[in-house]
Amino acid sequence: MILNEREKLLRQIQSEDFALYETVLFLDGHPHDEGALAFYRAHRDMLEKLKHEYTKKYGPLTIYDNQDEKCWHWIDKPLPWEKEAN
Amino acid sequence: MWIYEKKLQYPVKIKNPNANYAKIIISQLGGADGELAASMRYLHQRYSMPYKEVVGILTDVGTEELAHLEMISAILYQLTKGLSSEEIKRSGLDTYFVDHTSGIYPVSAAGVPFDMKYVGIKGDVIADLNEDLAAEQKARVTYDNILRLVDDPDVRDPIKYLRQREIVHYQRFGDALRITQDKLNSKNFYAYNPAFD
Repeated sequence: MILNEREKLLRQIQSEDFALYETVLFLDGHPHDEGALAFYRAHRDMLEKLKHEYTKKYGPLTIYDNQDEKCWHWIDKPLPWEKEAN
Repeated sequence: MWIYEKKLQYPVKIKNPNANYAKIIISQLGGADGELAASMRYLHQRYSMPYKEVVGILTDVGTEELAHLEMISAILYQLTKGLSSEEIKRSGLDTYFVDHTSGIYPVSAAGVPFDMKYVGIKGDVIADLNEDLAAEQKARVTYDNILRLVDDPDVRDPIKYLRQREIVHYQRFGDALRITQDKLNSKNFYAYNPAFD
């Protein structure tokens, strides 16, 4: 499957998000694991960078990052459950 | 996907536990017009909504309802914290206690467990938005009834906040219905179902 630029960036975000979430579940039960904490920091920083780039190019991922002063892009299509969004 | 924020939407700080209050307020957790029904109703209606404004309103009101579900749970948690067996027996909360101890389980005040039968998803914009308008009014009435039965200001304060949100949500669903009707044939709103035809 050929992915466009947006889809490629979204895949990266989803994979970083997944790595982070896995770490979070582990850390909940092992709050002093320094290795897991280092992994968490690295992936959180990476995710932040990727989400910043995505938001700037393609619009908000959360209600807190609408950038346009003239329009509320939060409601724009495609919606997450539509094929075109994935 | 969803991300959890580790804070309540509005503070809940109750000094005195009270099993009687918990027994009635639990209806806003698992009752027909409670916050669980509200969140499930809006978050599942979104998919068949043909207009982006309406999807946005349903997503964001539905998400806020999850925050209200948490506030109701916080109220129940604080109202039942540290109660003696004697107080539980006297209040009539014993019929809940025997099955759930001090766990938070969504039931109505009459003890009926939560049921998706409380939620209407017709797959038709006008029908679903009218369901939502009615649901917000019914939830507002339940909060009004709770305020008639509860004297403690610590409990009344977050309940008043939640009651006010029902009114705001009613207004926003009114916007959603107006936006929808503006897009339909004004001579016959029912000429077709934009979510299907």
